[in-house]
Amino acid sequence: MPVRRAGRPALPAVVLSLIGLGAAAVLALWWKDTPPIHGTGELLTGAGEVLGLLSGYGVVVLVALMARLPPLERGIGTDRLARWHAMGGRYVITLITGHVLFIIWGYAVTAQEKVTSETVILLTRYPDVLMASVAWFLLLGVGAFSARAARRRLSYETWYYAHLYTYLAIALAFSHQFADGASFTTSLDARVAWSAMYVTVAAAIVWYRFLTPLRMAVRHRFTVMSVRPEAPGIVSVFISGRDFGRLRAEPGQFFRWRFLTRELAWQSHPYSLSAMPRSDLMRITVKARGDHSYLMARLRPGTRVIAEGPYGAFTPSLSGRRVLLIAGGVGITPIRAMFAALPKRMADGITLIYRASHPRDVLFSRELDAIAADRNASMHYVIGSREQLGYDPLAPEYLQRLVHGLHRYEAYVCGPPGMTQAAIASLRAAGIPRGRIHHESFDF
Amino acid sequence: MLRAALVLGGSAVGLAALLMFKTQPGAPGAAAADTPATPSPATSATGAGASPAATATRSAGPKPSATTGGEGASTAARIVTGTVVNTQYGPMQVQITLTGQKITNATAVQRTDDGTESDQIDAMAIPKLTSETLAAQSARIDAVSGASYTSSGYIQSLQSALDKAGI
Repeated sequence: MPVRRAGRPALPAVVLSLIGLGAAAVLALWWKDTPPIHGTGELLTGAGEVLGLLSGYGVVVLVALMARLPPLERGIGTDRLARWHAMGGRYVITLITGHVLFIIWGYAVTAQEKVTSETVILLTRYPDVLMASVAWFLLLGVGAFSARAARRRLSYETWYYAHLYTYLAIALAFSHQFADGASFTTSLDARVAWSAMYVTVAAAIVWYRFLTPLRMAVRHRFTVMSVRPEAPGIVSVFISGRDFGRLRAEPGQFFRWRFLTRELAWQSHPYSLSAMPRSDLMRITVKARGDHSYLMARLRPGTRVIAEGPYGAFTPSLSGRRVLLIAGGVGITPIRAMFAALPKRMADGITLIYRASHPRDVLFSRELDAIAADRNASMHYVIGSREQLGYDPLAPEYLQRLVHGLHRYEAYVCGPPGMTQAAIASLRAAGIPRGRIHHESFDF
Repeated sequence: MLRAALVLGGSAVGLAALLMFKTQPGAPGAAAADTPATPSPATSATGAGASPAATATRSAGPKPSATTGGEGASTAARIVTGTVVNTQYGPMQVQITLTGQKITNATAVQRTDDGTESDQIDAMAIPKLTSETLAAQSARIDAVSGASYTSSGYIQSLQSALDKAGI
């Protein structure tokens, strides 16, 4: 059973440092190429240029985070990368907006024009500025569509297609950097280096997001074998194929699935493996929420699938400590895979708490009981809402009573975001340090 | 929300600091031929004509003149004109005055004149480029922000003048 050794390198810190170094290099480029500033007009224009350079760099970083680079997906985790991308996206859109405003203002002061007429001059007389402005509006739109308030109202599909416009925006804005940017017009080296940065990330996107899934589909021949209802609204889908051992999927990881039917072929969704794969069979368990999941229940055997992965950093690390698994609702899916994969020699060292609102929502109870018996692990089903129970079963006192010596455990939590946050808070309160609490949110 | 405010605030402070450090008056002799910070108010507002400095020395035609007088150790002033460089917005030609081996003046005898804002840009940029040339005593000067084409054409024409003068 491939379970990873403990002590993974601090990749998140390394990656963030590299991003910071890149930003410093961009600032150095501006510093080197810019003569000393005299006067308000140059000051404002200088601010606009700095913000513009950082924006052009920031956009590349954002795309790179989402390029599905295997070391990032494994070492940092898909959910964390998505959070970084979201936060970074808001920041970069702010940078771009600042760039636009300062350039207009700076040029207006320098040329002694009104801001309104300078805007018209910039749009009509300077090369590629009109395209770049369109790009700006597109990105503002994408930002609006991605805001939390919007995502609550929009379907995943709408948000996804709106987000694709970022590629168009980047293409539109690219040329004005070289045509109008003072750091680039007189320096071939700067243009070459900047282009190399863009080309590299574009190549990564093409390779990892387009070609690799196709290669994998050809190699492994993912096909739907059967669909089995597990509970009301929840189905398991069995995927057959060949050579799954080469995927090296670890328990707790997920794949992105694209089912090739007329309705489902246009998007891919992430679902965790609910059991460790055999060399020719995999199982995922899906909750019927939204159009996509509803259609999954009606999948016909023989449907071809394109699967990308494995992704996810939510996998057990063999630190030698006792393990506590907390699952809520359909979060039992990766937890169950982990549960089965933990070595038998950890007898007495495994506890699983399964939180569900209703008995009929409990999945895999027979499998879980069998695994627990096999490993002499402790299984606790905690069923019912907090109102029904009369107390919060994830409160620190209750957890500590349930799990003796809780503060020495390594904990893994997976469930709906609210429950996950509450559980993590309780575990922290019980004395488990942040580094020993692993979780994955299904928000992305 | 607080974190966002902190990040944006920190960025603004960083940007201001960066610009502040760039605002120190840099090269020696930069003040020599420098015009005041904002472009010459008189002409830029209408943009109809060139700025006063250039009109005075605008020559009749774009002919690149040969060096007058002797070269080498002579301290007589000589004028060398660079080739005409065609930028996106029109032609640019730089003429330098050499006293011995030292550049003592530089002017644009032709400049981009495609429309209103080009003249304004030139009015702003050319004095700066001139002062940079005098300070650097070579064509290795920085482009002026907001005047990419002017700067590029100026530098190329200046270099050709220096090549002609044998410097």
